[in-house]
Amino acid sequence: MTSLIEDPLLWILLVVLVAAVFAVQRARRTNLALRRTKNDLETNLGHAHGRIDQLQGHISALGDQHRGDLANVRADAESSTKAVLKSAMGTLQSLSEEQQLLLDGLLKKYGNDTEVLADLMAVDHTGSQFGRRAKGISVLCGGWLGRREGVATVYDVARSAQGRIKDFNRVSIHAQVSVAVSSKAVEPVAVVLAELLDNATTYSAPGTPVEVNIQAVPTGVCFIVDDAGLGMDQETKDRAAALLSADGPVDITGLGDPPRFGFAVCGMLAARYGFAVSVGSVSPYGGVRAVIRVPESLLAAEVVAPAEPAEPAAESQESAPQRLAPVPVGPSHVVGTTSGGLPKRRRRQGPISVVPAFEPAIDEQASESAGEVTASRLGAFARGTHLGRTTNTTEGPDHQ
Amino acid sequence: MTTPGEEAPVTSDFVRSYVITGGRDLPSSEELALHTLVTLAPGRTLPLGAGPEVKAIWELCAGGYLSVAEVAGHLGLPVGVARLLLTDLSEQGHLLRRAEPPRAQNVDRATLEKVLNGLQSLIG
Repeated sequence: MTSLIEDPLLWILLVVLVAAVFAVQRARRTNLALRRTKNDLETNLGHAHGRIDQLQGHISALGDQHRGDLANVRADAESSTKAVLKSAMGTLQSLSEEQQLLLDGLLKKYGNDTEVLADLMAVDHTGSQFGRRAKGISVLCGGWLGRREGVATVYDVARSAQGRIKDFNRVSIHAQVSVAVSSKAVEPVAVVLAELLDNATTYSAPGTPVEVNIQAVPTGVCFIVDDAGLGMDQETKDRAAALLSADGPVDITGLGDPPRFGFAVCGMLAARYGFAVSVGSVSPYGGVRAVIRVPESLLAAEVVAPAEPAEPAAESQESAPQRLAPVPVGPSHVVGTTSGGLPKRRRRQGPISVVPAFEPAIDEQASESAGEVTASRLGAFARGTHLGRTTNTTEGPDHQ
Repeated sequence: MTTPGEEAPVTSDFVRSYVITGGRDLPSSEELALHTLVTLAPGRTLPLGAGPEVKAIWELCAGGYLSVAEVAGHLGLPVGVARLLLTDLSEQGHLLRRAEPPRAQNVDRATLEKVLNGLQSLIG
């Protein structure tokens, strides 16, 4: 036994065992400590992730807010720009209408002087182009076009549009129908047609023809504009289609520099008044074919024959007793029949052989005091000049 | 829109006159003076594709001689524009024109005195 106690091997074994126990315990403690640390770290990581998510949310919220604010600021700037432009253009619009009225008077006043008349027409032409620009910008800024007092035939609407572009003499108009456009649609259709004609003449070679064909379709009337240009590339077509179908307000700052208003104006007016504009197809001449389709609701109910100056009812009543009188010697006064079958007569009474020396500024009072002219001659002359003086006063207000 | 005694305008007022002339040079006033009388030549038919103004001139002139100034007045157009349209029709042979009839000559004093005497003897 003692030998066993004194055996060094046993003591060594004992020491090793004790050391091993300590080592195991220490390892266990370390392990536990590490686990705790790991858990702590994992928790911290979770917190950090949460924080990051939170911050990202915050950032995107701020971004959204920023974008929203920016859009608001832009919209504010756009709308205040539009408001300023609209009122400025409104002034220009009414000045241009005023100038046209003035020119109407001047054209009649100096109608007999060929050179002055030609110069006045040149002024009138530039004035009309200027008026078209002012109207276009005004429309884009939310302005309104003046409403005409009366209906106008499609032919006259087309001719009016023709007069608003630079190369108007390249345009030829063929009207297969003689319907009238209702008063509220006259001006918008003319403005849109003028923009399409401007595009057609600008983007085709000088000297090539531009044709306007006006045709009846089951749902209304179509104004077809054909040019002999090179056509449009896909990008332009897409841009045009987007602008023509836009039903909201148009961003005027996004129209380029120099701004291309044309299609935007067309789209805006078409949406507002309810007609359709398309420019996608190819014309028989290889250029662009643009079509305005005016629905039946924007056409005047009654068909107006463009060639016949309508005789007021009072006039035919007045001349009715003449039918009982013997046929006067000389030229017949019956110049046709009305739609009701009654003979249509001119109000000329007695032969008109001499017209006194023409003085455009003469008024009725002055001519009445001229006693040496016979009453019949005077009446005919006064009617002629009166008509000339009064027919230029029917232009409506330029905007509402 | 049209008050009695006033004809409806042939051309809407917003069709500019240079569009009606097609931007062509206007004929000088000597070719067709204001008081030149025009009428439709017999047996003519309206040219195809005539605009509303030409049709209106056709109707106006069908009734007998009318002066250039009157045609312009009826159409509500400047005289120069009406003159261009009339010149066109005239060149195509559709219109007859006649110069103004000569003005009355001054009668000598003796004749006037005779008339006066005659009238006085009738009335007095």
